Amino acid sequence: MDQNQTVALLKRSMPFQTVPGEMLDAIAKLARYESYARGDVIYHQGDFADDVYIVSSGTVQHTLGIGFQATHPEKILHSGDVFGWAAVLDNQRSRLAKTVCMERTELIRINGEELINLFRASPETGDIVMSRFATMINKEYTLPEEVAGHVPHFTQVPVTMATGLTLTMFRLSQWLKSPKPYLMFTGFGILLATWYFTVEVWKLPRFADMPGLTVVMKEWFSKDPVYGLSIYTPEYYQHIWVSVRRILIAFFLATVLGVPLGLFLGWSKTFREYVFPVFETLRPIPILAWVPLAILMFQGSETPVIFLTFLASFYATALNTMLGVETIDESYSRAAACLGASKWQTFKEVIVPGAMPFMFTGLQISIGVAWFSLVAGEMVSGEFGLGYVINTSYTMVRYPTIVIGMITLGIVGYTSSALVRMAGDYMMQWRVRELALGGR
Amino acid sequence: MSAVLQKADKAEKGALKGAIRIEDVVKIYDPEGAAVMAVDHCSLDIPAGEICMIVGPSGCGKTTLLNAIAGFHSISSGKIFLDNELLCGPEKPMAQPGSDRIVVFQNGALFPWKSNLDNVAFGPLMQGKLGKKEIYDKARSMMADAGLSGTEHNFPGEVSSGLRRRVEIVRALMNEPKVLLFDEPYRALDSLTKSVMHEALLEIYYKNKVTIFFITHDLEEAIFLGHRLVIMSSRPCKPKKIIDVDIPHPRDYSVLTSTRYRQLMDETIELVHEEAKKAFSAGEKEG
Ligand SMILES: Nc1ncnc2c1ncn2[C@@H]1O[C@H](COP(=O)(O)OP(=O)(O)OP(=O)(O)O)[C@@H](O)[C@H]1O
Ligand SMILES: [Mg+2]
Repeated sequence: MDQNQTVALLKRSMPFQTVPGEMLDAIAKLARYESYARGDVIYHQGDFADDVYIVSSGTVQHTLGIGFQATHPEKILHSGDVFGWAAVLDNQRSRLAKTVCMERTELIRINGEELINLFRASPETGDIVMSRFATMINKEYTLPEEVAGHVPHFTQVPVTMATGLTLTMFRLSQWLKSPKPYLMFTGFGILLATWYFTVEVWKLPRFADMPGLTVVMKEWFSKDPVYGLSIYTPEYYQHIWVSVRRILIAFFLATVLGVPLGLFLGWSKTFREYVFPVFETLRPIPILAWVPLAILMFQGSETPVIFLTFLASFYATALNTMLGVETIDESYSRAAACLGASKWQTFKEVIVPGAMPFMFTGLQISIGVAWFSLVAGEMVSGEFGLGYVINTSYTMVRYPTIVIGMITLGIVGYTSSALVRMAGDYMMQWRVRELALGGR
Repeated sequence: MSAVLQKADKAEKGALKGAIRIEDVVKIYDPEGAAVMAVDHCSLDIPAGEICMIVGPSGCGKTTLLNAIAGFHSISSGKIFLDNELLCGPEKPMAQPGSDRIVVFQNGALFPWKSNLDNVAFGPLMQGKLGKKEIYDKARSMMADAGLSGTEHNFPGEVSSGLRRRVEIVRALMNEPKVLLFDEPYRALDSLTKSVMHEALLEIYYKNKVTIFFITHDLEEAIFLGHRLVIMSSRPCKPKKIIDVDIPHPRDYSVLTSTRYRQLMDETIELVHEEAKKAFSAGEKEG
């Protein structure tokens, strides 16, 4: 049996099913292959328990000794079944059963102690495997939970299902262990160094008028900024808040209106025939072309900006949600129909969750274009806001403030799309876990 | 009908449900345009509790027939009955999909966004027949019976494809269907997993005697599982030959080494090969 076959066999066996690839390889390396003839006894009750066995082919009869309150003391084991788990129990290192081969049988055996050592190195996986061992002993061998209670634990805290926060923390720790953060800092380092040298050290012809790195930083972190805007001035936060509030309102409206519209566009052919052509003629009109009408249509300076921001977001959300509905495999709705779901139930249970991956892609795009059109809107009309800061600083020759506005936009924009992604992960646990299993 | 099944029939007269009668069914796709005839005056009687294996060349119209029984699309003419009740016919070209006939799909259709347990509980929950607690208790015990304990709270995407198929069958059985319709469910599995799945399916079948309509390309699978093999002609689809598999149930993998199995295998290979050749040359002409 080669490594691949061993891995395949491990994957089929209940305790090892969810073990990630690398770990499976490591476990497979511990495995030794053995074959037995009909009637061979693999071990007797009371023997020292060294190895765990997995049946590759053939059949094994497993008879528990008297005194272990199993409801079914006898069990027949086939390909993929695991036995000999006494080898991984904490203080029970002798065999509880007798095992006999009923025909020519091929097995792999794995030393219990080596397996446990392997799990000490990656306790998360270890605990999952061991809890599956416990379930198996309890359910398949119908032994009371006390016996299963002897399987060792590796992590300090009891492992729960990976949910929102734990998952985020886990990812963060994984991320810090990977080379990614260091590459990221190097990237930023290069950008800042280029800025510093081109503008302030070499004073290259085109860059000479640009505000330099040190000037901007000094201004940004100054308690008494020359041009009136730094992290110590309340105006700075007022501008951020005004922009964020506009984004929140526009994004909220775009989501609340765009998601249902997209769902219905994808779901109902008739509805789509009415609405989609209108939608498709309005969509290619650039947001900036709406500026005059927006100002004419809405009173004051606030609503036109929000309207412009909303518009682009709304298209992105609705369109992607519709696409999401269209890409749902037909067999899901058919399966739901077979299982007796009504049309409305199918919509709720199949269409909505099925469209969710695309929907969240749409929301990611939506928040991006929202910032884009917000800044455009704030530059043209409106008071306050980061776009307004950038525009007025230009006309009033406060160059460092322009850059402060830009950097702030970058940070706030990035944070907002990270929040949308986190919301998506939170709502699509199934997808997160599926992708995690694929090693992505 | 096989002798074995006839005996079983006599023993449990009236107990079994799920007889399918297909009468002169015709299905033409796109009758105004290209008019592709997928099923041509097909008649077939499947007694309750039989495992009927449908074998035929690719593209001959097997899925079309299955979809007509399931109620996913209409038929052009003919009638289909389930236990002498009309599913679809001249006045009612499309059957209503329902939990008495459940399809297990070619690529699997467990909802990836629901846990295995929620998938299994889905049918009864939708139909609102039982209380929530009863449904989940039943789902748990059925999963345990099928060797699926420990995977209840996993999502389908987290377990092996073999297990996924088993969950899907349990999801169907939760509804106590009369008929299970399989459309090449094991096509994507490796041969090892496949053999495990076959025995598991038979085990489930011996516990819940439902009628099984099973489409496959795999002759080994067809003979190993089926009471009867229906060999379809190349498109349009029509039964060309019906073979009784007179190997008694319950079966296990030792069947594969018996002489009778070998004989049946040789017989079918010949028939199927002939049709495959026809389908291939027809395809060449069309192309
Ligand atoms: N919706 C459709 N419109 C037009 N033609 C179709 C449609 N669905 C199927 N067909 C045609 O009908 C024929 C039978 O298709 P069907 O899917 O029933 O074959 P099959 O026997 O299940 O094939 P396979 O073994 O490859 O699954 C094929 O030639 C196919 O191209
Ligand atoms: Mg098909």
